[in-house]
Amino acid sequence: MLEIASGLRCPVCQNLSVADSTSEMAREMRALIVDELRAGKRPEEIRAYFVSKYGEWILLSPTPRGVGLVVWILPALGTLAGLGGTAWLLKRWSRRGPAPAPPPDDAVVSRIRAAVDGLSVTLSAGEARQVEALQELRFDYEAGKLSTLDYEDLRALYEARAAAVLAASEGSGEGAEARAPAPSGPPRARPAAAVRAWRWAAAALFLVGFGAAIGYFLPQSVRARDGGSPTGDFLTGTRDQGASVDARDVPALLAAGRQAMEGQQFDRAIGFFRRALEVDPGEPTAQASLGLILLRAGHADRALQAFDRALSSDPTSQQALWGKGLVLHESLGRTAEAVRTWEALLLQDLSPQDREHVLSVVAEARQRLAGRPAPAAGSTR
Amino acid sequence: MAWKRLALIFGVGLPLLAALAYGFTRDPREIPSPLIGRPAPPFKVRLTDGSEVKLADLRGKVVFLNFWASWCPPCRAEARLLEASWQRHRDQDVVFLGVNMQDREEAAREFLREFAISYPNGLDGGNRIAIDYGVWGIPETFFIDRNGRITYKQIGAFDGKTIHAKLEEARQGVISREEGKGEYRSIR
Repeated sequence: MLEIASGLRCPVCQNLSVADSTSEMAREMRALIVDELRAGKRPEEIRAYFVSKYGEWILLSPTPRGVGLVVWILPALGTLAGLGGTAWLLKRWSRRGPAPAPPPDDAVVSRIRAAVDGLSVTLSAGEARQVEALQELRFDYEAGKLSTLDYEDLRALYEARAAAVLAASEGSGEGAEARAPAPSGPPRARPAAAVRAWRWAAAALFLVGFGAAIGYFLPQSVRARDGGSPTGDFLTGTRDQGASVDARDVPALLAAGRQAMEGQQFDRAIGFFRRALEVDPGEPTAQASLGLILLRAGHADRALQAFDRALSSDPTSQQALWGKGLVLHESLGRTAEAVRTWEALLLQDLSPQDREHVLSVVAEARQRLAGRPAPAAGSTR
Repeated sequence: MAWKRLALIFGVGLPLLAALAYGFTRDPREIPSPLIGRPAPPFKVRLTDGSEVKLADLRGKVVFLNFWASWCPPCRAEARLLEASWQRHRDQDVVFLGVNMQDREEAAREFLREFAISYPNGLDGGNRIAIDYGVWGIPETFFIDRNGRITYKQIGAFDGKTIHAKLEEARQGVISREEGKGEYRSIR
Protein backbone atom coordinates (compact mmCIF):
# COMPACT_ATOMS: atom_id res chain seq x y z
CA MET A 1 0.00 0.00 0.00
CA LEU A 2 2.70 2.39 1.04
CA GLU A 3 4.64 1.67 -2.12
CA ILE A 4 1.73 2.77 -4.30
CA ALA A 5 0.73 5.67 -2.06
CA SER A 6 4.23 7.09 -1.91
CA GLY A 7 4.30 7.28 -5.71
CA LEU A 8 1.09 9.30 -5.86
CA ARG A 9 0.85 13.03 -5.37
CA CYS A 10 -1.69 14.24 -2.86
CA PRO A 11 -4.23 16.48 -4.66
CA VAL A 12 -4.71 18.58 -1.54
CA CYS A 13 -1.20 19.42 -0.43
CA GLN A 14 0.44 19.11 -3.87
CA ASN A 15 3.97 18.56 -2.65
CA LEU A 16 3.45 15.53 -0.46
CA SER A 17 2.79 11.98 -1.48
CA VAL A 18 -0.48 10.31 -0.62
CA ALA A 19 1.49 8.18 1.84
CA ASP A 20 2.91 11.18 3.72
CA SER A 21 -0.06 13.52 3.67
CA THR A 22 -2.34 13.74 6.69
CA SER A 23 -5.21 15.26 4.70
CA GLU A 24 -8.59 13.59 4.70
CA MET A 25 -8.44 13.01 0.95
CA ALA A 26 -5.08 11.26 1.18
CA ARG A 27 -6.40 9.09 3.98
CA GLU A 28 -9.33 8.06 1.85
CA MET A 29 -7.06 7.39 -1.09
CA ARG A 30 -4.97 5.12 1.10
CA ALA A 31 -8.11 3.31 2.21
CA LEU A 32 -9.11 2.96 -1.44
CA ILE A 33 -5.72 1.50 -2.31
CA VAL A 34 -6.00 -1.01 0.53
CA ASP A 35 -9.49 -2.03 -0.61
CA GLU A 36 -8.38 -2.45 -4.21
CA LEU A 37 -5.34 -4.48 -3.19
CA ARG A 38 -7.56 -6.68 -1.09
CA ALA A 39 -9.87 -7.08 -4.07
CA GLY A 40 -6.88 -8.54 -5.91
CA LYS A 41 -5.92 -5.57 -8.08
CA ARG A 42 -2.29 -5.26 -9.13
CA PRO A 43 -0.32 -2.13 -8.16
CA GLU A 44 0.00 -1.04 -11.80
CA GLU A 45 -3.76 -1.28 -12.22
CA ILE A 46 -4.36 0.89 -9.16
CA ARG A 47 -1.82 3.43 -10.37
CA ALA A 48 -3.48 3.45 -13.80
CA TYR A 49 -6.83 4.03 -12.11
CA PHE A 50 -5.56 7.16 -10.40
CA VAL A 51 -3.95 8.39 -13.62
CA SER A 52 -7.26 7.92 -15.43
CA LYS A 53 -8.93 10.17 -12.85
CA TYR A 54 -6.33 12.84 -12.18
CA GLY A 55 -4.07 12.51 -15.22
CA GLU A 56 -0.30 12.17 -15.17
CA TRP A 57 -0.33 14.94 -12.59
CA ILE A 58 -0.98 12.43 -9.83
CA LEU A 59 2.29 10.56 -10.40
CA LEU A 60 5.17 11.93 -8.36
CA SER A 61 7.64 10.61 -10.92
CA PRO A 62 6.17 11.17 -14.37
CA THR A 63 6.44 8.45 -16.98
CA PRO A 64 9.50 8.99 -19.19
CA ARG A 65 7.48 9.91 -22.31
CA GLY A 66 6.89 13.20 -24.12
CA VAL A 67 7.23 16.22 -21.85
CA GLY A 68 7.80 13.90 -18.88
CA LEU A 69 11.03 12.79 -20.51
CA VAL A 70 12.50 16.25 -19.93
CA VAL A 71 12.29 15.77 -16.18
CA TRP A 72 14.30 12.59 -16.45
CA ILE A 73 16.95 13.93 -18.82
CA LEU A 74 17.47 17.43 -17.43
CA PRO A 75 19.17 16.41 -14.15
CA ALA A 76 21.65 14.24 -16.05
CA LEU A 77 22.30 17.05 -18.53
CA GLY A 78 22.68 19.53 -15.69
CA THR A 79 25.15 17.30 -13.89
CA LEU A 80 27.17 16.85 -17.04
CA ALA A 81 27.15 20.58 -17.76
CA GLY A 82 28.14 21.33 -14.18
CA LEU A 83 30.98 18.84 -14.18
CA GLY A 84 32.17 20.05 -17.57
CA GLY A 85 31.99 23.67 -16.47
CA THR A 86 33.89 22.93 -13.27
CA ALA A 87 36.59 21.05 -15.12
CA TRP A 88 36.94 23.89 -17.62
CA LEU A 89 37.13 26.52 -14.88
CA LEU A 90 39.64 24.54 -12.82
CA LYS A 91 41.76 24.13 -15.89
CA ARG A 92 41.61 27.84 -16.61
CA TRP A 93 42.49 28.75 -13.04
CA SER A 94 45.40 26.36 -12.82
CA ARG A 95 46.71 27.77 -16.11
CA ARG A 96 46.37 31.32 -14.83
CA GLY A 97 48.62 30.63 -11.82
CA PRO A 98 52.04 30.28 -13.47
CA ALA A 99 50.96 32.25 -16.54
CA PRO A 100 51.60 35.83 -15.35
CA ALA A 101 54.40 36.78 -17.57
CA PRO A 102 58.04 37.22 -16.65
CA PRO A 103 58.40 38.40 -13.08
CA PRO A 104 60.05 41.75 -12.82
CA ASP A 105 63.66 42.48 -12.24
CA ASP A 106 64.86 42.88 -8.65
CA ALA A 107 66.18 46.35 -9.37
CA VAL A 108 62.81 47.45 -10.72
CA VAL A 109 60.99 45.85 -7.79
CA SER A 110 63.19 47.56 -5.25
CA ARG A 111 62.60 50.83 -7.03
CA ILE A 112 58.85 50.32 -6.89
CA ARG A 113 59.02 49.33 -3.23
CA ALA A 114 60.96 52.44 -2.49
CA ALA A 115 58.20 54.44 -4.15
CA VAL A 116 55.54 52.60 -2.16
CA ASP A 117 57.46 53.29 1.05
CA GLY A 118 57.19 56.95 0.26
CA LEU A 119 60.80 57.66 -0.67
CA SER A 120 61.16 60.39 -3.22
CA VAL A 121 61.40 58.76 -6.59
CA THR A 122 60.32 60.58 -9.72
CA LEU A 123 57.27 58.92 -11.24
CA SER A 124 55.09 59.41 -14.27
CA ALA A 125 51.29 59.55 -13.83
CA GLY A 126 50.87 55.88 -14.84
CA GLU A 127 53.54 54.77 -12.43
CA ALA A 128 52.09 56.86 -9.63
CA ARG A 129 48.74 55.08 -10.10
CA GLN A 130 50.39 51.67 -9.81
CA VAL A 131 52.26 52.76 -6.72
CA GLU A 132 49.06 54.06 -5.19
CA ALA A 133 47.38 50.73 -5.80
CA LEU A 134 50.24 49.00 -4.04
CA GLN A 135 50.02 51.39 -1.14
CA GLU A 136 46.32 50.72 -0.81
CA LEU A 137 46.96 47.02 -0.92
CA ARG A 138 49.47 47.29 1.89
CA PHE A 139 47.08 49.44 3.85
CA ASP A 140 44.39 46.77 3.53
CA TYR A 141 46.85 44.12 4.57
CA GLU A 142 47.92 46.06 7.61
CA ALA A 143 44.30 46.71 8.49
CA GLY A 144 43.88 42.95 8.59
CA LYS A 145 41.58 42.70 5.55
CA LEU A 146 43.91 40.37 3.66
CA SER A 147 45.71 37.19 4.59
CA THR A 148 49.47 37.11 4.20
CA LEU A 149 49.15 34.61 1.37
CA ASP A 150 46.68 36.77 -0.55
CA TYR A 151 48.71 39.86 0.12
CA GLU A 152 51.91 38.37 -1.22
CA ASP A 153 50.08 37.02 -4.20
CA LEU A 154 48.42 40.31 -5.04
CA ARG A 155 51.55 42.28 -4.34
CA ALA A 156 53.47 40.16 -6.82
CA LEU A 157 50.75 40.81 -9.39
CA TYR A 158 50.65 44.56 -8.78
CA GLU A 159 54.43 44.82 -8.79
CA ALA A 160 54.56 43.00 -12.09
CA ARG A 161 52.06 45.50 -13.47
CA ALA A 162 53.97 48.41 -12.09
CA ALA A 163 57.18 47.02 -13.56
CA ALA A 164 55.50 46.72 -16.96
CA VAL A 165 54.38 50.34 -16.79
CA LEU A 166 57.89 51.34 -15.72
CA ALA A 167 59.45 49.36 -18.54
CA ALA A 168 57.10 50.90 -21.07
CA SER A 169 57.91 54.39 -19.92
CA GLU A 170 61.67 53.90 -19.68
CA GLY A 171 62.17 52.62 -23.16
CA SER A 172 63.10 49.31 -24.68
CA GLY A 173 66.52 48.84 -23.09
CA GLU A 174 65.45 48.41 -19.52
CA GLY A 175 62.23 46.70 -20.66
CA ALA A 176 64.21 43.85 -22.21
CA GLU A 177 66.21 43.57 -19.06
CA ALA A 178 63.10 43.42 -16.99
CA ARG A 179 61.76 40.60 -19.13
CA ALA A 180 64.72 38.37 -18.18
CA PRO A 181 63.62 35.80 -15.61
CA ALA A 182 64.57 36.82 -12.10
CA PRO A 183 65.85 34.01 -9.92
CA SER A 184 63.67 34.73 -6.91
CA GLY A 185 60.37 35.16 -8.78
CA PRO A 186 59.06 31.81 -9.96
CA PRO A 187 59.73 29.71 -6.84
CA ARG A 188 57.66 32.13 -4.81
CA ALA A 189 54.78 32.52 -7.25
CA ARG A 190 54.25 28.85 -7.97
CA PRO A 191 53.61 27.57 -4.46
CA ALA A 192 51.12 30.36 -3.94
CA ALA A 193 49.23 29.38 -7.09
CA ALA A 194 49.27 25.72 -6.12
CA VAL A 195 47.95 26.49 -2.65
CA ARG A 196 45.19 28.55 -4.26
CA ALA A 197 44.18 25.75 -6.56
CA TRP A 198 44.08 23.35 -3.64
CA ARG A 199 41.99 25.77 -1.69
CA TRP A 200 39.48 25.99 -4.51
CA ALA A 201 39.37 22.24 -4.84
CA ALA A 202 38.88 21.81 -1.09
CA ALA A 203 36.11 24.40 -1.10
CA ALA A 204 34.41 22.68 -4.01
CA LEU A 205 34.72 19.30 -2.31
CA PHE A 206 33.32 20.73 0.90
CA LEU A 207 30.37 22.28 -0.93
CA VAL A 208 29.56 19.05 -2.73
CA GLY A 209 29.81 17.11 0.52
CA PHE A 210 27.70 19.63 2.34
CA GLY A 211 25.02 19.52 -0.34
CA ALA A 212 24.96 15.75 -0.31
CA ALA A 213 24.74 15.66 3.48
CA ILE A 214 21.85 18.14 3.48
CA GLY A 215 20.10 16.22 0.75
CA TYR A 216 20.43 13.03 2.71
CA PHE A 217 19.74 14.13 6.26
CA LEU A 218 17.19 16.89 5.84
CA PRO A 219 14.39 14.77 4.36
CA GLN A 220 15.04 12.19 7.04
CA SER A 221 14.89 14.61 9.91
CA VAL A 222 11.77 16.46 8.78
CA ARG A 223 9.64 13.52 7.70
CA ALA A 224 6.15 13.65 9.19
CA ARG A 225 6.15 11.74 12.44
CA ASP A 226 3.19 10.37 14.36
CA GLY A 227 0.42 12.89 14.37
CA GLY A 228 1.74 14.60 11.26
CA SER A 229 4.16 16.95 12.97
CA PRO A 230 7.47 17.27 11.12
CA THR A 231 9.49 17.57 14.30
CA GLY A 232 7.50 15.16 16.46
CA ASP A 233 7.97 16.05 20.10
CA PHE A 234 11.49 17.31 19.58
CA LEU A 235 10.71 21.03 19.70
CA THR A 236 7.61 21.11 21.83
CA GLY A 237 8.72 18.59 24.43
CA THR A 238 5.24 17.13 24.47
CA ARG A 239 6.44 13.62 24.57
CA ASP A 240 3.63 11.17 25.15
CA GLN A 241 4.15 7.64 26.20
CA GLY A 242 2.44 6.55 22.99
CA ALA A 243 5.41 7.63 20.94
CA SER A 244 7.44 4.91 22.57
CA VAL A 245 5.16 2.21 21.23
CA ASP A 246 6.93 0.26 18.55
CA ALA A 247 5.24 1.12 15.28
CA ARG A 248 5.06 -2.53 14.22
CA ASP A 249 3.97 -4.10 17.48
CA VAL A 250 0.23 -4.61 16.90
CA PRO A 251 -0.81 -5.77 20.40
CA ALA A 252 1.05 -2.83 21.96
CA LEU A 253 -0.59 -0.42 19.50
CA LEU A 254 -4.01 -1.84 20.30
CA ALA A 255 -3.38 -1.54 24.03
CA ALA A 256 -2.19 2.05 23.63
CA GLY A 257 -5.22 2.80 21.47
CA ARG A 258 -7.60 1.33 24.03
CA GLN A 259 -5.95 3.34 26.76
CA ALA A 260 -6.25 6.54 24.74
CA MET A 261 -9.88 5.74 24.06
CA GLU A 262 -10.58 5.29 27.76
CA GLY A 263 -8.88 8.63 28.39
CA GLN A 264 -11.21 10.24 25.80
CA GLN A 265 -8.21 11.09 23.60
CA PHE A 266 -9.85 9.96 20.42
CA ASP A 267 -7.39 11.59 18.05
CA ARG A 268 -4.53 9.65 19.55
CA ALA A 269 -6.57 6.48 19.71
CA ILE A 270 -7.35 6.82 15.99
CA GLY A 271 -3.64 7.24 15.32
CA PHE A 272 -2.75 4.03 17.15
CA PHE A 273 -5.47 2.01 15.50
CA ARG A 274 -4.56 3.30 12.07
CA ARG A 275 -0.94 2.34 12.63
CA ALA A 276 -2.03 -1.10 13.72
CA LEU A 277 -4.06 -1.34 10.52
CA GLU A 278 -1.08 -0.28 8.45
CA VAL A 279 0.87 -3.21 9.85
CA ASP A 280 -2.04 -5.64 9.71
CA PRO A 281 -4.78 -4.30 7.42
CA GLY A 282 -7.29 -6.93 8.50
CA GLU A 283 -6.86 -6.46 12.27
CA PRO A 284 -10.50 -6.71 13.53
CA THR A 285 -10.03 -5.08 16.94
CA ALA A 286 -8.49 -1.96 15.44
CA GLN A 287 -11.24 -1.74 12.80
CA ALA A 288 -13.98 -2.24 15.37
CA SER A 289 -12.46 0.35 17.72
CA LEU A 290 -12.20 2.85 14.87
CA GLY A 291 -15.82 2.08 14.16
CA LEU A 292 -16.81 2.88 17.73
CA ILE A 293 -14.93 6.18 17.58
CA LEU A 294 -16.53 7.04 14.23
CA LEU A 295 -19.93 6.18 15.64
CA ARG A 296 -19.33 8.46 18.59
CA ALA A 297 -18.28 11.22 16.19
CA GLY A 298 -21.55 10.81 14.32
CA HIS A 299 -20.20 9.17 11.14
CA ALA A 300 -22.68 6.32 11.15
CA ASP A 301 -21.97 5.21 7.59
CA ARG A 302 -18.24 5.02 8.00
CA ALA A 303 -18.62 3.35 11.37
CA LEU A 304 -20.78 0.70 9.75
CA GLN A 305 -18.14 0.21 7.04
CA ALA A 306 -15.47 -0.22 9.71
CA PHE A 307 -17.53 -2.78 11.61
CA ASP A 308 -18.26 -4.69 8.42
CA ARG A 309 -14.56 -4.73 7.58
CA ALA A 310 -13.78 -6.01 11.08
CA LEU A 311 -16.44 -8.70 10.77
CA SER A 312 -15.21 -9.75 7.35
CA SER A 313 -11.86 -10.68 8.85
CA ASP A 314 -13.28 -11.97 12.13
CA PRO A 315 -17.03 -12.72 12.10
CA THR A 316 -16.98 -13.30 15.87
CA SER A 317 -15.42 -9.97 16.89
CA GLN A 318 -17.49 -8.98 19.92
CA GLN A 319 -16.65 -5.31 19.68
CA ALA A 320 -17.63 -5.18 16.03
CA LEU A 321 -20.90 -7.06 16.56
CA TRP A 322 -21.83 -4.78 19.44
CA GLY A 323 -20.91 -1.66 17.49
CA LYS A 324 -22.66 -2.75 14.31
CA GLY A 325 -25.84 -3.38 16.30
CA LEU A 326 -25.53 0.08 17.82
CA VAL A 327 -25.13 1.81 14.45
CA LEU A 328 -28.02 -0.08 12.91
CA HIS A 329 -30.28 0.51 15.86
CA GLU A 330 -29.48 4.02 16.93
CA SER A 331 -28.28 5.85 13.85
CA LEU A 332 -29.81 4.09 10.89
CA GLY A 333 -33.06 2.90 12.47
CA ARG A 334 -32.60 -0.64 11.12
CA THR A 335 -33.57 -2.20 14.43
CA ALA A 336 -34.46 -5.64 13.09
CA GLU A 337 -30.95 -6.05 11.64
CA ALA A 338 -29.49 -4.70 14.86
CA VAL A 339 -31.30 -7.36 16.89
CA ARG A 340 -30.01 -10.07 14.54
CA THR A 341 -26.47 -8.75 14.96
CA TRP A 342 -26.74 -8.70 18.73
CA GLU A 343 -28.13 -12.23 18.73
CA ALA A 344 -24.95 -13.28 16.95
CA LEU A 345 -23.05 -11.48 19.69
CA LEU A 346 -24.94 -13.39 22.40
CA LEU A 347 -23.71 -16.64 20.88
CA GLN A 348 -20.17 -15.54 21.77
CA ASP A 349 -18.43 -16.10 25.06
CA LEU A 350 -19.37 -12.92 26.96
CA SER A 351 -18.73 -11.88 30.52
CA PRO A 352 -21.89 -12.09 32.72
CA GLN A 353 -22.24 -8.29 33.00
CA ASP A 354 -21.81 -7.78 29.28
CA ARG A 355 -24.31 -10.54 28.52
CA GLU A 356 -26.84 -8.98 30.85
CA HIS A 357 -26.35 -5.57 29.29
CA VAL A 358 -26.71 -6.88 25.76
CA LEU A 359 -29.80 -8.87 26.74
CA SER A 360 -31.44 -5.80 28.22
CA VAL A 361 -30.64 -3.72 25.15
CA VAL A 362 -31.97 -6.45 22.85
CA ALA A 363 -35.12 -6.73 24.92
CA GLU A 364 -35.65 -3.00 24.66
CA ALA A 365 -35.06 -3.04 20.92
CA ARG A 366 -37.48 -5.94 20.45
CA GLN A 367 -40.05 -4.05 22.40
CA ARG A 368 -39.65 -1.07 20.19
CA LEU A 369 -39.79 -3.29 17.11
CA ALA A 370 -42.94 -5.07 18.25
CA GLY A 371 -44.74 -1.99 19.49
CA ARG A 372 -43.67 0.54 16.91
CA PRO A 373 -47.07 2.26 17.04
CA ALA A 374 -46.84 2.26 20.84
CA PRO A 375 -44.98 5.56 21.15
CA ALA A 376 -47.60 7.16 18.92
CA ALA A 377 -50.34 5.77 21.12
CA GLY A 378 -48.42 7.01 24.10
CA SER A 379 -48.25 10.51 22.70
CA THR A 380 -52.01 10.70 22.26
CA ARG A 381 -52.50 9.82 25.87
CA MET B 1 34.18 38.00 -25.59
CA ALA B 2 31.24 40.37 -25.81
CA TRP B 3 29.37 38.19 -28.29
CA LYS B 4 29.99 35.15 -26.11
CA ARG B 5 28.44 36.85 -23.16
CA LEU B 6 25.49 37.98 -25.26
CA ALA B 7 25.03 34.47 -26.58
CA LEU B 8 25.04 33.15 -23.02
CA ILE B 9 22.41 35.66 -21.95
CA PHE B 10 20.14 35.10 -24.92
CA GLY B 11 20.76 31.38 -25.25
CA VAL B 12 20.39 30.35 -21.64
CA GLY B 13 19.17 33.22 -19.51
CA LEU B 14 16.21 34.34 -21.58
CA PRO B 15 14.69 30.89 -22.15
CA LEU B 16 15.10 30.18 -18.44
CA LEU B 17 13.44 33.45 -17.56
CA ALA B 18 10.66 32.78 -20.05
CA ALA B 19 10.05 29.32 -18.56
CA LEU B 20 9.87 30.80 -15.06
CA ALA B 21 7.58 33.60 -16.20
CA TYR B 22 5.29 31.05 -17.85
CA GLY B 23 5.28 29.08 -14.61
CA PHE B 24 4.08 32.11 -12.70
CA THR B 25 1.06 32.48 -14.96
CA ARG B 26 -0.12 29.00 -14.03
CA ASP B 27 -2.18 27.97 -11.02
CA PRO B 28 -0.04 25.30 -9.36
CA ARG B 29 -3.10 23.77 -7.73
CA GLU B 30 -4.84 23.16 -11.01
CA ILE B 31 -5.13 19.55 -12.06
CA PRO B 32 -6.48 19.32 -15.62
CA SER B 33 -9.09 16.61 -15.75
CA PRO B 34 -8.59 13.76 -18.21
CA LEU B 35 -12.29 12.90 -17.89
CA ILE B 36 -13.80 15.49 -20.23
CA GLY B 37 -15.21 13.80 -23.32
CA ARG B 38 -15.03 10.43 -21.62
CA PRO B 39 -17.90 8.37 -20.20
CA ALA B 40 -18.79 9.55 -16.70
CA PRO B 41 -17.67 7.06 -14.03
CA PRO B 42 -20.72 5.14 -12.84
CA PHE B 43 -21.75 5.45 -9.20
CA LYS B 44 -24.51 4.76 -6.76
CA VAL B 45 -25.20 7.23 -3.99
CA ARG B 46 -27.49 7.38 -0.98
CA LEU B 47 -29.64 10.50 -1.04
CA THR B 48 -30.50 12.61 1.96
CA ASP B 49 -34.05 11.26 1.86
CA GLY B 50 -32.70 7.73 2.31
CA SER B 51 -33.30 6.53 -1.24
CA GLU B 52 -30.51 5.54 -3.59
CA VAL B 53 -29.76 6.80 -7.07
CA LYS B 54 -27.56 5.27 -9.74
CA LEU B 55 -26.00 7.35 -12.48
CA ALA B 56 -27.01 4.65 -14.98
CA ASP B 57 -30.67 5.31 -14.09
CA LEU B 58 -30.27 8.87 -15.35
CA ARG B 59 -29.18 7.84 -18.84
CA GLY B 60 -31.15 9.79 -21.45
CA LYS B 61 -31.12 12.92 -19.35
CA VAL B 62 -28.58 15.70 -19.02
CA VAL B 63 -27.02 15.46 -15.57
CA PHE B 64 -25.66 18.43 -13.64
CA LEU B 65 -23.41 16.78 -11.05
CA ASN B 66 -22.20 19.16 -8.33
CA PHE B 67 -19.71 18.21 -5.61
CA TRP B 68 -20.03 20.42 -2.53
CA ALA B 69 -19.46 20.70 1.20
CA SER B 70 -21.14 22.84 3.81
CA TRP B 71 -17.81 24.28 5.03
CA CYS B 72 -16.83 25.70 1.64
CA PRO B 73 -17.65 29.40 1.14
CA PRO B 74 -17.84 29.30 -2.69
CA CYS B 75 -20.36 26.45 -2.34
CA ARG B 76 -22.49 28.70 -0.18
CA ALA B 77 -22.03 31.50 -2.68
CA GLU B 78 -23.37 29.48 -5.59
CA ALA B 79 -26.08 27.55 -3.69
CA ARG B 80 -28.95 29.95 -4.43
CA LEU B 81 -27.92 30.23 -8.05
CA LEU B 82 -27.92 26.45 -8.43
CA GLU B 83 -31.37 26.17 -6.88
CA ALA B 84 -32.66 28.94 -9.16
CA SER B 85 -31.17 27.21 -12.22
CA TRP B 86 -32.76 23.95 -11.14
CA GLN B 87 -36.15 25.67 -10.88
CA ARG B 88 -35.63 27.05 -14.35
CA HIS B 89 -34.57 23.78 -15.97
CA ARG B 90 -36.42 21.15 -13.97
CA ASP B 91 -39.21 20.73 -16.50
CA GLN B 92 -36.74 19.89 -19.22
CA ASP B 93 -34.86 16.60 -19.40
CA VAL B 94 -32.25 17.85 -16.97
CA VAL B 95 -31.36 16.38 -13.59
CA PHE B 96 -29.47 18.28 -10.92
CA LEU B 97 -27.65 16.04 -8.49
CA GLY B 98 -25.56 17.32 -5.60
CA VAL B 99 -22.92 15.15 -3.99
CA ASN B 100 -21.86 16.16 -0.51
CA MET B 101 -18.28 15.25 0.33
CA GLN B 102 -15.87 15.60 3.23
CA ASP B 103 -18.63 16.77 5.47
CA ARG B 104 -20.74 15.85 8.46
CA GLU B 105 -24.18 14.63 7.58
CA GLU B 106 -25.82 17.01 10.05
CA ALA B 107 -23.97 20.03 8.63
CA ALA B 108 -24.91 18.97 5.10
CA ARG B 109 -28.59 18.72 5.97
CA GLU B 110 -28.45 22.10 7.66
CA PHE B 111 -26.91 23.57 4.49
CA LEU B 112 -29.68 22.10 2.33
CA ARG B 113 -32.29 23.50 4.70
CA GLU B 114 -30.66 26.92 4.84
CA PHE B 115 -30.64 27.36 1.07
CA ALA B 116 -33.92 25.45 0.53
CA ILE B 117 -32.28 23.15 -1.99
CA SER B 118 -34.95 21.08 -3.68
CA TYR B 119 -32.91 18.97 -6.10
CA PRO B 120 -31.66 15.58 -4.91
CA ASN B 121 -28.42 15.45 -2.94
CA GLY B 122 -26.32 12.41 -2.14
CA LEU B 123 -23.88 11.76 0.65
CA ASP B 124 -20.51 10.48 -0.49
CA GLY B 125 -19.17 8.73 2.60
CA GLY B 126 -15.55 7.83 2.08
CA ASN B 127 -15.39 10.20 -0.92
CA ARG B 128 -15.13 7.32 -3.34
CA ILE B 129 -17.27 9.12 -5.90
CA ALA B 130 -15.15 12.25 -5.55
CA ILE B 131 -11.95 10.28 -6.13
CA ASP B 132 -13.62 8.55 -9.05
CA TYR B 133 -14.25 11.96 -10.61
CA GLY B 134 -10.77 13.24 -9.79
CA VAL B 135 -12.10 16.01 -7.57
CA TRP B 136 -9.39 18.27 -6.14
CA GLY B 137 -11.19 21.53 -5.42
CA ILE B 138 -14.62 22.38 -4.22
CA PRO B 139 -17.18 23.06 -5.55
CA GLU B 140 -16.66 21.05 -8.68
CA THR B 141 -19.35 20.45 -11.28
CA PHE B 142 -19.59 17.96 -14.13
CA PHE B 143 -22.05 18.19 -17.00
CA ILE B 144 -23.02 14.78 -18.36
CA ASP B 145 -24.89 14.44 -21.63
CA ARG B 146 -27.70 12.03 -22.51
CA ASN B 147 -25.23 9.33 -23.49
CA GLY B 148 -23.40 9.50 -20.19
CA ARG B 149 -20.40 11.45 -21.48
CA ILE B 150 -18.83 14.29 -19.51
CA THR B 151 -19.11 17.39 -21.69
CA TYR B 152 -17.85 20.08 -19.35
CA LYS B 153 -16.25 20.54 -15.99
CA GLN B 154 -16.32 23.63 -13.84
CA ILE B 155 -13.99 24.09 -10.91
CA GLY B 156 -15.29 26.66 -8.45
CA ALA B 157 -18.47 28.66 -8.18
CA PHE B 158 -20.61 29.51 -11.21
CA ASP B 159 -21.79 32.77 -12.60
CA GLY B 160 -25.35 32.93 -13.87
CA LYS B 161 -24.86 32.53 -17.62
CA THR B 162 -22.51 29.58 -17.66
CA ILE B 163 -24.91 27.03 -16.23
CA HIS B 164 -27.58 27.73 -18.82
CA ALA B 165 -25.12 27.80 -21.72
CA LYS B 166 -23.31 24.64 -20.70
CA LEU B 167 -26.55 22.76 -20.05
CA GLU B 168 -27.60 23.71 -23.55
CA GLU B 169 -24.30 22.40 -24.92
CA ALA B 170 -24.62 19.19 -22.93
CA ARG B 171 -28.12 18.73 -24.32
CA GLN B 172 -26.64 18.89 -27.81
CA GLY B 173 -23.70 16.70 -26.83
CA VAL B 174 -21.14 19.44 -27.46
CA ILE B 175 -17.93 18.79 -25.59
CA SER B 176 -16.07 21.82 -24.25
CA ARG B 177 -12.38 21.94 -24.86
CA GLU B 178 -11.61 23.92 -21.72
CA GLU B 179 -12.60 23.64 -18.12
CA GLY B 180 -14.40 26.51 -16.45
CA LYS B 181 -13.02 28.18 -13.40
CA GLY B 182 -14.52 30.21 -10.60
CA GLU B 183 -13.62 30.82 -7.02
CA TYR B 184 -12.87 27.53 -5.30
CA ARG B 185 -11.44 26.02 -2.15
CA SER B 186 -9.01 23.19 -1.98
CA ILE B 187 -10.51 20.03 -0.59
CA ARG B 188 -9.24 18.80 2.75
